Order: sequence, then structure tokens, then C-alpha cells
Amino acid sequence: MDNHLTLNLLIWRQSGPEQPGMMVPYTISGVSPEMSFLEMLDHLNDDLSRRGERPVEFDSDCREGICGTCGLVINGIAHGPKSACTTCELRMRSFKSGDTISVEPFRATGFPIVRDLVVDRGAFDRIIAKGGYVSVNTGAAPDGNAIPVSKFDADRAMDAASCIGCGACVAACPNASASLFVSAKVAQLALLPQGQPERDHRALKMVEQMDREGFGDCSNHGECEAVCPKAISISHIAIMRRDFMRAAVQ
Amino acid sequence: MGKSPLLDAKIPSGPVEQKWTVFRGDADLVSPANKRKHTIIVVGTGLAGASAAASLAEMGYNVLSFCIQDSPRRAHSVAAQGGINAAKNYQNDGDSVRRLFHDTIKGGDFRAREANVYRLAEVSVNIIDQCVAQGVPFAREYGGTLANRSFGGAQVSRTFYARGQTGQQLMLGAYGALMRQVNEGTVKMFPRREMLDIVLVDGKARGIICRNLTNGEIERYAAHAVVLCTGGYSTAYYLSTNAVSCNVTAAWRCHKRGALFANPCYTQIHPTCIPQSGDSQSKLTLMSESLRNDGRVWVPKAKHDQRRPSEIPEDERDYFLERRYPAFGNLVPRDIASRASKRVCDEGHGVGPTGYAVYLDFGDAIKRLGRNKVQERYGNLFAMYHEITDDDPYDTPMRIYPAPHYTMGGLWVDYNLMSTIPGLHVLGEANFSDHGANRLGASALMQGLADGYFVLPYTIGAYLAGERLGAIGTDHEAFDAVEQEVKESVAALLKRKKGEKTITEFHRELGKVLWEDVGMSRHHEGLETAIRRIREMRAEYHDAVFVPGEGEELNRSLEMAGRVADFFELAELMARDALQREESCGGHFRQEHRTRDGEAKRDDKNFAFVGAWEYKGRDEEPVLHKEPLVFENMELKQRSYK
Amino acid sequence: MISWKKNLTSSIGKKFVTGITGLLLVSFVIVHLIGNLLLYAGPDAFNSYAYFLEHRLIHGWAVYVADAMLILFFGAHAVAGISVWQKKRLARPQPYYQAGNAGGASRKSFASRTMIVSGLVILVFVILHVRMFKFGPTATVVVDGIEMRDLYTLVVSTFKVWWISFAYMAVMVLLGLHLRHGIWSAFQSVGATSPRYQPVIYVGGVTLSILIGLGFFLLPLVILFFYENPALSMGGI
Repeated sequence: MDNHLTLNLLIWRQSGPEQPGMMVPYTISGVSPEMSFLEMLDHLNDDLSRRGERPVEFDSDCREGICGTCGLVINGIAHGPKSACTTCELRMRSFKSGDTISVEPFRATGFPIVRDLVVDRGAFDRIIAKGGYVSVNTGAAPDGNAIPVSKFDADRAMDAASCIGCGACVAACPNASASLFVSAKVAQLALLPQGQPERDHRALKMVEQMDREGFGDCSNHGECEAVCPKAISISHIAIMRRDFMRAAVQ
Repeated sequence: MGKSPLLDAKIPSGPVEQKWTVFRGDADLVSPANKRKHTIIVVGTGLAGASAAASLAEMGYNVLSFCIQDSPRRAHSVAAQGGINAAKNYQNDGDSVRRLFHDTIKGGDFRAREANVYRLAEVSVNIIDQCVAQGVPFAREYGGTLANRSFGGAQVSRTFYARGQTGQQLMLGAYGALMRQVNEGTVKMFPRREMLDIVLVDGKARGIICRNLTNGEIERYAAHAVVLCTGGYSTAYYLSTNAVSCNVTAAWRCHKRGALFANPCYTQIHPTCIPQSGDSQSKLTLMSESLRNDGRVWVPKAKHDQRRPSEIPEDERDYFLERRYPAFGNLVPRDIASRASKRVCDEGHGVGPTGYAVYLDFGDAIKRLGRNKVQERYGNLFAMYHEITDDDPYDTPMRIYPAPHYTMGGLWVDYNLMSTIPGLHVLGEANFSDHGANRLGASALMQGLADGYFVLPYTIGAYLAGERLGAIGTDHEAFDAVEQEVKESVAALLKRKKGEKTITEFHRELGKVLWEDVGMSRHHEGLETAIRRIREMRAEYHDAVFVPGEGEELNRSLEMAGRVADFFELAELMARDALQREESCGGHFRQEHRTRDGEAKRDDKNFAFVGAWEYKGRDEEPVLHKEPLVFENMELKQRSYK
Repeated sequence: MISWKKNLTSSIGKKFVTGITGLLLVSFVIVHLIGNLLLYAGPDAFNSYAYFLEHRLIHGWAVYVADAMLILFFGAHAVAGISVWQKKRLARPQPYYQAGNAGGASRKSFASRTMIVSGLVILVFVILHVRMFKFGPTATVVVDGIEMRDLYTLVVSTFKVWWISFAYMAVMVLLGLHLRHGIWSAFQSVGATSPRYQPVIYVGGVTLSILIGLGFFLLPLVILFFYENPALSMGGI
């Protein structure tokens, strides 16, 4: 019973940030349907390595969909064809033998390419640094139950907080906007009492940094929500906009 | 049992309840003006690293923070699912600091230091307060108070959680605190850096050598003290629940420079992981232990039963955990659950295509609670399982099997979390300190944050105040020598231009040997074979491994090659330590040492010590040092969960 | 003042401007469409309505205020929209080799991706449209003793030119498309949505866009095929 797949891959190769890149074809066989997409690439890299060729560089870490390190654009869709799923969670049973699969890096000015499929998402850290937290020093906290939070608000905040910072929202957005990522953090803290004192300042500062990083504007295509591994809703973007405008007129 | 002069644990005197209070009251302080003049290197940005870096910076130190990932938020703490323990007693079910201390010592099978564990239990309550204040969206009751659940090995509900993503949420809280300090300019962040060595000046830790993973440059950083928060070494097994970039390199290189490595044989094999499906698999996926709160573990009573689970009637199922451990049932500690699963599979009752899996059944829970309630509790875990296996756990029982998950062993540290290299502090999973021979569920997050937020900030101040170190620059000659060695070892890996066997294949082979002989169940002969095999493989590795690409560029293969080389060395020490420890305790189970009914049998008379190994050179035998464990607050007795 | 400018030209500020002006322009378009329906009621009703707007409403001041506001809204809407498009090109200079649609929750559509095209066409159209009708050559008629511009004849005779009608109808299809994404998007851009109301707003916006597009589309069609040419009938009187 041989259910192994043979696939034609078209993979973006680029040897450095300044070098030109191109799509390079590879054929790979012996791919089992249980493999994850990244294990399929590992398999390809082992082949390349045995032939003395340079393996394809890509980022990955936890390989269970929570660290947000992996991220490829597969057949034009960030994280591939399955919804609410990271690249590392995508299994090869989603493909058929003989398929041609294109694999590209997340493309955005805000995410410069480092090599092959590896991009630099430092912009996200710089945005969070501007206010994606509650400013409380270690040791300065009141008792945990001194701050009651309704279950409804805690659940809603958790929906927003589940963002893994992978950047698929930017990759999928026709405008390369980072709004979903930024709004998830703004909304999480806007929905919690702990976030109130810095609420206005946070929205202004984080949006300002987002714009500075060269991301595009959000024109509500909603493609970000569709590719988000945690299915974070674009309604968070509406919250961010309300907070920003309210802060802006004050 | 002789106590090694190298291993002075510096435990404060007095009753265990007073030790930490007394320490904090008496410890020397660095004045605010002088804190600014001190630079501290923190390697790793998981819960321990991020919380330590943020707290130190808040206090006024200059912090240099390093992480191997492209962003500090991605450290593997992010993947912890179940929860974090704290002795808050919010549920009024009889919890207290003392009870958490008891449970942790007992869960660790009496192989942890009492003073450290008590302190851990003490500060656990502060952690929850801190995280709530940071906006961590913990689960709540309808009244707005914090919710708790019970978790493996505990009879009280003291686990705080945020859906199945507790590690992620705590991680993002600590990451936020860290990024706030980056914004303030008190922390300088260096992502995509791998620490490759430590630099000692006058025998004290004064700097590190890193490889910039983006461009391959070898970089130097100097400081007054170094804090290592680089996690555990489960990836030595190749297949584990750890992330791809988890490695032992930073800790191992410190070990080679003089930091003793304690209890390397204490590894935790987590009972609820998705079984392996094929040879190409790169990692195993953990399903949170919280699943055991409502799921029932069983196998068919008949051997090699090929029927589908739904076709096996109730009286032909063996709920072996409930049968063998009626008091705790499915909630027995991890080491016991894992071994019990292995035993039924070894006896031929295992299920699934490989015969190495047991069922975790939610049928009863769905009947009792309804599908919605089960979905609310475990929805994301069920979805993850479905995604990976193509089986729907709402309809058919999950298949699970144990997998390497956490390592209790690590660099030896004293009460102040300082290793045997002065100035080198080790936090979180990277040290050996708090979990003894087995870690309880939801205690890793607790330890990481305790060390980073509440312990190190005090103890490092005492060290710095006592030492009065002058500033040094990276032009110091000590840096030249270490950098040269690092460059040579990188160059050595790159010297071959072709090779048949890939780095992954070597790593996978090493993992198989460790899994077979230094895994859930060990015996003398197997361990000796393992040591021999590991040595052979290591020699072959250095002769034959081919690393494609160059050194001065982003090169994942080169990174892996260096880490695997260190895993070979560590693996031997794991086996050696397991061989030395002629008893069964916690995650370390020696087949020669068991009770009549097959349970682990400790030898408190001869082995109630921390075994810390000293590196003596590439081809020299390491030397074992012993720190005796004294139990003044708990009676040493055989663990029983029956 | 500086922070006002900074905030309004930020990514969110720009979209806020696009959204607010968009919603105002949609309101105008709806009123405009209702006015146009008077063409079906005959020349007197239509011409009187136009006369009322131009000379009677707030003593004839309304039209100036409305004109000024419309120019302001339209200009701001266009400037912000073009700026979004420019920034998008800078934000991803190297396009994907393969473009895909994730489907599911996505609101991406042909309409949403062609906002800049439909918008620019509408911009050009509006200029021509204003020149053609507002400043177009008209005779005068007397209704109820008042002398007024015979806009009705201008409209009907214009749409009797087949290619003008077809061009007009084509633009109205684009207007419908623009509004298909534009209406719900405007609510989202000003932050006036929530998980609960978003589906309602989305469906409502799409429905309204179809109604508006269809309303404007039908008028030239009906005139072209069912109305007599007023220029000819005038000659007959």
C-alpha cells in the first residue's frame, strides 16, 4: 500500500537580503500524507544536503502552532489552504500526488527577506515595545482577586490575546497592513480593567510605530482573519480604530 | 555520604518558613546609583529569561538580553498548555504554601532541596498577582474571580489557566514587560543570537560569545554577571515535545568551562502525547495533561485486540490507571502514568498501528457534561488532535503515548541560583533545582517565573554587592582566547564538502538510543551499551557529518550541527548518571530497583543526594560530586498514589 | 493642530476620513437617486424639484453649502483613497508569484481589490457629469408661473444618445461595485462595528449597493428605450 505523494515544488530562493530571488522548481517523492508541510521541506532539505546542495532556509520552532515562528505562503495563501492552521500544522494529506505547490516567503516591506523563506519580523517587536503591555513593575501588583474581571470580558480578551504574532495577517493582506496584529493587542488590553490607564496612549503609540514600519493601510479586505491561525476577528480592528480616534481627539 | 566542597548550597539557616524572609532581610544590596553601572547578560527569553531581564532592568541594571528565536516572544515556554500552580487557596479546599511545598517535594520523589522548594511555593502567590496585573487573561468565574482547576498529581485545585494556552499568555505577559524595558532603553535586545561560549575573567563569568544567526558573525558581549535561562535538553531524544531550536549548547559549554551538571538522568516523559506516526516525524505533540481530568485512560483487556474502540464492550476494557491507583486514578503524576502506559503496551495491550498507544476516552465526560462543556474546556486541544491525526476525539477516543517533555536535571545551582562558576546564574528548566526527580504538572511555569521575577533579582544583588567587580571591555584578552576556540569549532564542522549521512539522521539515531536505553525504563546493561553506542556515534559524527553552506551567513544546518555535537556529549553523561544512580526515583526508573508490584523503589540511604558532574576534558571521565539532601520538614517515605 | 494633522494622516486617520466621507457621500447618492426617480413622474415634477433645491431651500443657500461640502468630502475621500493605494504599493513592492484567496471569513472580493479603479473612474465621471448636467446648456420652461431651467429635457435628450447612456450605465456598475465593498467597509473604518452587528452591516451594505447601482442603472436604460425624445416632441409643439 503505497500512499506516498510525489510533488512538484516551486520554491522562492534568495541568497541574501540584497540579492535577487527567483522561484526554483524541485520534485520530491516519498512524501507521506501524515507529514506536516515542514517535515516535507525537511525531507527535501535532506535530499538537497545529500546531493551537496544548499538546503532551503525556513523558520520554524515549536511545530505545534503556538510559537508563531513558521510562516510560508503556499499556493498564494499564507499558511496554506487550511483555515485556522499554521504552516507547521498543515498536513500533506491536504495535497494530491502530482500537485504543483508554490512556496513563497511572507512578502512585505515591513518584513524584509533574510534568506530564502526567512523574513525579519522585528517590526512586530518594535510595535509591542511602544505600548503592548500594562506598565506594572515586578512586585507592585495587588492581589489577583482584587481586580475582578467578568467572564465575558476575560473570554473576549483571551480571543484577542491568542494572537501568536506569526505575521500571516500582513502576508495575506493585499495592502500588507499589520492592523490585525496590532489591534489584537490593543483590543486585549482595552477589554480588561488592567489596560485602562494607558488605553489612549497605547493606541496612539502602537499605531504610530505600525505606520513607521512601512506597513500598508487596512482597507477591510478581511483576508487577514481568514488566514489567521487563531481566527482572530477583524472586529478587533474596529476596536483599535475607535480607541485611536477617541485618543486622537482628546 | 561525602559532601563535595564544590557544592556549597549556601542555604540560609533557620526554619524553612523563615529562610527566604531572613535572606531577603539580610542580603547586601546594590545602591540605585551603582545598579546603573552594572551590566547583566540574560541568555534566553522564556518565562525565566524574560521575567528576569525585565525585573532586573526595572531595578536599574543595564541588561543585555539574547534569544535564539527571531523574537523573544517565541521562546518555548509559549507552548505550555495546562496551567500554573499557586498556593492561593482561592477555592478554600485546604491549600497552603506548606501543602504546595509538600506536594512538590513528594512529587519530585524526595530528590529536591527543601529550602528551594519552600521558597518556590512561597513566591507562587506573588506570580499570580503579577501576571494578573499585567493583563494576562486568566480564566474567570462568572463572579469575576480567578478560576482554578486541579492538575496531575494534586488533590487541590490550585492551577490557574488561560484556556489551553497558559504558557503563551504568561509568556506574552513577561515579553510585554521585557519590551517595555527595551522601549525604556534599559534592556538591549539581541534576537537570533546563539550563545556558543562563556568568558571567564579571574574565574568569574564576565561575558559570552554568540553567533549572530542572521549573518554568521561571531560576537562578544561583556558584563558583570551572566544569567542563563536556556531551557532543558529533551531534544537530545530527537523526538520530543520541545521546539526544534531547543538545545543544550549554552548550558553544555558552561559545563565545559566549570559549571557542574546536576542529575542529567532526571528526564520527564510526559504521558499524554500524540503517538509517533512515521520515521519522517520531526517532533511529538503534547496534549495537555488537563485532559486527564475528564478523559479516562484504557486499553483492551485482550492482547493485540484489533477491534475499533467503539466495538470493545465496557467489561473488556482495562482502565489500568484507575485499577492500579484507585486514590488518584487518571490523575497520578506524570512519571507513574507514563510508565504504566509503557507497561501495558510492552505486554501487548497497546492500540493503534504501532501498538504503542493507549486510549484517552472522553465518552463518559461527554455523556456527563455534554459536548458543549467538553468543547469549552478542551476545544483547542481536540481541534489540534483532529488536525494532526485526522481522527475526531468527540467520536472516537484519542490515542496517546508518552514522549520526552521536560528535563529536571540541569546546571547545578546553590540557593542563590548561582552555578559553580561565580557570576553565572542559571534559571528555570536550565537549572536542576526545584523538581527533584519528577516535575508536577503546572510547576514549570511556576518555577520559571519564580526564578525570574522574585528570586534572582534579590540573589544577584547580593552577589554583585559582595564582589565589587570593575568594568571590563570585550577587548579583554580572555575574549580573544574563547572567541578563537569558538571559531575553530565552527570551522571544524564546515570542513567536509560532502557526506552521506545528514545531521538529522545522526540526531535521530542518537535519539533512538536514548529512548531505548535512557528513556522511561533503564537497566545496567542497556546503559552500558548506550554509553558505548553514543561514543561510537559521536566519533562517526565528527568524522563524517556534512554541513552544507558557509559560516558567515544564515545557515540552519550549521546551527543544528553544533547542537547535535553537544547532544552527543550530554547523552553520554545522561547515561552515566543513570548508571550511577542505583535506585528508581521519579522519572528515573531502573528495572533492577522496583518493589514486588513493579513500582519504583528508592534508596534513600545511599542516594538521597544531588549528583553533580564535573567536566574533566574531552576524553577524560567526568567526576561525580554529591550534595546530600537533608529532609527536616518532611518524612522520607515511599510515594504512594494507590 | 500638529497632532490633529498627524493623526488624520495616520493609517487609521486616513481610513477614518475615507469612511466618514464615504458614508456622507453615500447619503448624498441616496438622496440624488430619490430625486432622479422624479424623472419618472414627468418634466414638471422633476424641474420643480430641481428649482426647489437650487432656489428655495434655505433661500437658495443650501445649494452652495451642499456644493462646498460635496467638493470637500469628495476631495478628501479621493485624496485619502489614492494615498491608501500608494502606500499599498510601497508596502509590498514585490508581488506574490501566485495570488490566492483564503475564502472563509475573508471579505476580499473583485470589488474590494478594484476600489482604486472604480474610484478613479467615478472621479472622472463626476467631473463630466457635473459639467454635463449642472452646467449643461438648458432651455427654460414655466411651471406654475415660475420660470426655471428645463433640466428634464437636458437629461432625457442626453440619455437618448445611446453611447452616453451605455457609458453611464457602465459607470453605474462600477459605482455599485465600489459601494459593495465601500458601505460596510466605511462602518468598519470608523469603528462602528462589533462582532454582533458586523454581519448585519455587511449584508445591509451589499444590499444597499445593489439597490443604488440598479436604481441609477435603470434610468438611462428606461429613457433610451421607452421615452420619447423631448427635443423632437418639442419641435412638434
